[in-house]
Amino acid sequence: MFEALKLIFQENWLWRRQIANLALMDIKKTCRGAVLGWVWLFVKPLTYIAVFWFALELGLRAGGNTEYPYIVWLSAGLIPWFFMQDMINTGSNVYRRYPFLVNRIAFPLSAISTFYALSQFFVFLLLMVVLFVLCAITGAMPGLYVLQLIPVCLIMLAFWVCFSILCSPLSAISKDFSNLLKALSTPLFWLSGIIFDVSSMGSAAIHAVLSFNPVTFFAEAVRASVCENYWLWERPDVLLPFLAVFAVTAVLAVACYGKLRKDVADVI
Amino acid sequence: MSSNSQLLLPRSSEAIVIRDEDSSNNVAIEFQNVTKSYKLFKNDRARFMATFSKKVPYKDVCANNDLSFTIRRGEAVAFLGTNGAGKSTALKIITGVAHPTSGKVVVHGRVSALLELSAGFDGQLSGRENIAFRGQLWGLSAEEIAELEPRIIDFAELGDYIDQPMRTYSSGMKSRLGFAFASSIKPDILVVDEALSVGDRRFARKCLDRVHEIMSDSHVTVLFVTHSSTSAKEFCKRGIVLEKGHNIFDADIKDAIAFYEGKM
Repeated sequence: MFEALKLIFQENWLWRRQIANLALMDIKKTCRGAVLGWVWLFVKPLTYIAVFWFALELGLRAGGNTEYPYIVWLSAGLIPWFFMQDMINTGSNVYRRYPFLVNRIAFPLSAISTFYALSQFFVFLLLMVVLFVLCAITGAMPGLYVLQLIPVCLIMLAFWVCFSILCSPLSAISKDFSNLLKALSTPLFWLSGIIFDVSSMGSAAIHAVLSFNPVTFFAEAVRASVCENYWLWERPDVLLPFLAVFAVTAVLAVACYGKLRKDVADVI
Repeated sequence: MSSNSQLLLPRSSEAIVIRDEDSSNNVAIEFQNVTKSYKLFKNDRARFMATFSKKVPYKDVCANNDLSFTIRRGEAVAFLGTNGAGKSTALKIITGVAHPTSGKVVVHGRVSALLELSAGFDGQLSGRENIAFRGQLWGLSAEEIAELEPRIIDFAELGDYIDQPMRTYSSGMKSRLGFAFASSIKPDILVVDEALSVGDRRFARKCLDRVHEIMSDSHVTVLFVTHSSTSAKEFCKRGIVLEKGHNIFDADIKDAIAFYEGKM
């Protein structure tokens, strides 16, 4: 167990330079082939945000009585979701995206998860810049709480790397597992606090269950830093369930990696 | 690093792999009673269940069975054997892509493999980007890659195609680039798996010359896997004949070829 943990850290440290280059290469690959290239990284998420904003605020008349505009609140939830969505759909099955790194070149498997997450994280950071521009336009500049974003983003990266290290070997071995995760991606979105506020639903039981969804936590954590202005440790009902989920995911990821990493090359 | 790994001797049934970049060690590769078995399950569901339970039945197939040999620095050794004799599995273990099930594997020095040359490239990236990509995976700095790049492109004879995405390449072009790359990065141990049938006859000749050039450096260890006894004779001084994953004959190349051909 501890050996596997040590191994993961060793692999990621020894190959750090390659990991950084591969992350850049992954982004390049995504933009490849289109004339507009980089623009497409923004077009899809921004369309999403615009459509949700139109449907929710103008159509369903959500939002309203807060001191910040609804679109800031909505974007602060959707932007981390785009990252998490990629990690759930592709990050959970990342060896199939790079089969030649698994069975043609000797490359540490845990580092594949890391560099894929890093490349998506980079896109996420660019979108966060867009969010700040949006804040500036709407005049809802975040306060001191924005400093909280730094640890929140790093924890988000760490959590989803763990998630990918846990799920990728299982997905490689079983197609059912990867299909299950893909099927879960939409429910995880709708059963999270991204487009509604879970604490205002009025049912403590539902709130308790939904707070174990890591997607809810990250949406709330980014909002706490950008517009809702509170420190996360003031809200143990948000923080503690996530920390429990994180601990379980990390332990399972290390155990699973230690057990399965040698089998992956045989099944890809 | 190797002494450290030796301290952590696990239970006897588990495999030990020691791998370092000590290219001055007199031994390049050592296999001690290495077994590699693949678990064959009835279906994917059974394979998945087996990660949680030990009760799921499966069939063990040994690709390498109690395989032992030692290859010293600077030797050129041919692996001979029919299809399914376990040659490729042994090479995969040497390159570090596959893990042995039991036994001990020691590899001193950096391994470059000419296994299935057209694989290991990313189809979305251009040839030039793939060279940079593989080069940095190999641990080269940007300057070293810039220095090697013209040499690789020149050898592969790709012309204007070098800046096109690799998915547009023909299989011959991919293998040419693969060979040019793997043979240009100055490995300590070069593994060649049936690779010299690259391209047309003229290019194959060029590849053979390149391998000769690499082998003239007495420090480079070459492993050569082939069905063809003529090319084995041309390159190697020693032959190891494998059958059913086991080392059945290990001697001078002439005797090994005679033994291998006698068995056919």
